[in-house]
Amino acid sequence: MLTIILNEWKILVRNRAIVYITILFILSLVSVVWMGVVQNINQKEIQQSAQKHIRSQWDNLKPMNPHRAAHYGSYAFKPISILNSLDDGISAITGNVLKLEGHVQNEIVYSEASQAISLSKFGKLKSSLLLQYMIPLFLIFLAYSSISSEKESGRLKLLVFQGVSFFKLIFSKSISIWFYGLFLLTITISAQTFLGVVNQEVLYRIALIFLSYACYYYVIACLTTYFSAYLKDNTSALSSILATWIIWTIFLPRIWGNSVEKFYPLPSRQDFKATMKEDRSKGIDGHNPTDERREKLKNRYLKEYNVDSLKQLPINFDGIVMQEDEEYGNLVWDKHFGSNYAIYKSQKKLYQLSGILNPFASLQSLSMGLCGNDMVHHLDFLEKAEKYRRYLIKELNDKHAFGGSKTGNWKWTVDETFFKSVEGFNYRSPSIYEKIVHYIRDIFFLMTWMFVTTLLLRFNINKNNLL
Amino acid sequence: MINVKNITKRFKDFEALSNLTLEVPKGEIYGLLGSNGAGKSTTINILLGFLEPDSGESFVNGINASTDTNNARKNIGYIPENVNLYPYLTGIENLDYFCKLAGKNYSPKKLSEILIECGLDFSATNKQVNTYSKGMRQKVGIAIALAKEAKVYLLDEPASGLDPLASTELSSMLKKISNRGAAVLMASHDIFRVRETCNRIGILKGGELVKEMDTSIVSTEELEKIYIEYMQT
Repeated sequence: MLTIILNEWKILVRNRAIVYITILFILSLVSVVWMGVVQNINQKEIQQSAQKHIRSQWDNLKPMNPHRAAHYGSYAFKPISILNSLDDGISAITGNVLKLEGHVQNEIVYSEASQAISLSKFGKLKSSLLLQYMIPLFLIFLAYSSISSEKESGRLKLLVFQGVSFFKLIFSKSISIWFYGLFLLTITISAQTFLGVVNQEVLYRIALIFLSYACYYYVIACLTTYFSAYLKDNTSALSSILATWIIWTIFLPRIWGNSVEKFYPLPSRQDFKATMKEDRSKGIDGHNPTDERREKLKNRYLKEYNVDSLKQLPINFDGIVMQEDEEYGNLVWDKHFGSNYAIYKSQKKLYQLSGILNPFASLQSLSMGLCGNDMVHHLDFLEKAEKYRRYLIKELNDKHAFGGSKTGNWKWTVDETFFKSVEGFNYRSPSIYEKIVHYIRDIFFLMTWMFVTTLLLRFNINKNNLL
Repeated sequence: MINVKNITKRFKDFEALSNLTLEVPKGEIYGLLGSNGAGKSTTINILLGFLEPDSGESFVNGINASTDTNNARKNIGYIPENVNLYPYLTGIENLDYFCKLAGKNYSPKKLSEILIECGLDFSATNKQVNTYSKGMRQKVGIAIALAKEAKVYLLDEPASGLDPLASTELSSMLKKISNRGAAVLMASHDIFRVRETCNRIGILKGGELVKEMDTSIVSTEELEKIYIEYMQT
């Protein structure tokens, strides 16, 4: 087997056209990674400086009423992963910054565009474009004639006659083409590792990215060689594998993506906002409207402090009402957004099932996920950003209620000492260990595809067709 | 060394071989003559184990070529009509590769010697095969078969497209091989070349062996006459 692989490589190296194309590929890959890393570092610096600026503005707020500060709000920044330069996934659509303020929950996620599972990825020149589309295409061009040309030239008989089994020959040729893919992949990943800032978590992710692409290239190499061996001539082999590649990369993702959206539909933005508004005013289940809730709350506090009127309360009831309203709003948020998040998660799971028919879908899902730029990671950010928003608003409302002001005193202010005491939003991207469970399906399907293509080579080659 | 016993092979309605029986002992070169479609290549392919006969048996050095194909192949050196080698590899590299596939590891010196023995110029051995003529490729093909140290050699139209000098070199090479004790079966429709090279000749027509004769008792002209007679009847 090693003899065949080495011979294939020797032939590849002697073919000038392939050498030139390989050099072109390497230059493109390295420069794309380099540009991506540089762009990333710039974006990161801009983001960090914006983050500092926002925090410094917050820390130096002029004395103001806490409720005013709640409307002034803050921003949650999603850290830009260094792996953005490999695959930016859906981050270009979802964005990395959210405004956090009282009464209003982050909205950016609810745009239709945020479900990027079915969106075209041809927009930007990223390494993922080369790794997912160009390299497999090149592997196809290398492999489609690997057996059929041996067959057409009559050399196959001579090879088999030397005592090599069909499987060994075909499998070795697949492996040699796969190694070529791995070679380009290694260069890309190494460039990413050396040019980017790498910590242990990034290294784990890079290793898994490498393995995912390696699996996909294996499938491509084996399947193309299979077509080359199974079909009668070069033309049939090339047209069949190209048709498969087009179905995998263009048609199936869209067809499946549309079906997923039909199967788990999201409410329209208009309906969503209208229902939220209604629930906010009339109560989650159509009862207990705002006035009723406020009246009950007032009576509870009057009783608790044993006083007859709000003016007699030692606290600011307005702060209590605002926090109560906020918490009620949170319940409404949890109901509606929770339902949307559940739909996103179901959509993702159903989309991942397309890996049964389409290993490209599994690869794309893994690539985005491992680079930290898919819906799973985005939802994690949104959930933590919302959690922080709740903390921030509660801090402000509690200050308003218990900080020393009286009900109705909207002119009461707090100074920067208080604002400085409120913690900032420090988001830590989840480790791949925490999120790997979301990608088990993708891993399983890719491995199944590897197994199936190997079986095809082993058991589904008609020797009579070959000779 | 080569035994074909009552072999019949059909391709749908076409009978390619009909109850064919022939024997090529050690040290003999046997020429199978016949027009296109007479069954020459089918016979070779059955002996190579690439085709299975519908009935009958074939043996190579006593090993059944249909039931024990891999072992039978170990005893066979095969030279096709067109020896297609890897164009980006040199003659030596091609020979080395094919030898390694057959489990033989030769030093570069030995490989070079084999090629030279098969008639390739020393200067050509290290040139890429895409610069070779058909005759030179054929010589590398013979070298591949020879390096296998086979006991039986099967040749399918080996002289087709070769210039007279290359054909003569091929003949003398085959004689050298048979003198070492190998059995050679050569399928061809080149009467002159077969008469020059072989010890015995069989004429195939419509899948049947219609005539066998020793080349020592027949001149080229007589052979041509006999051949045409059989083809016309």
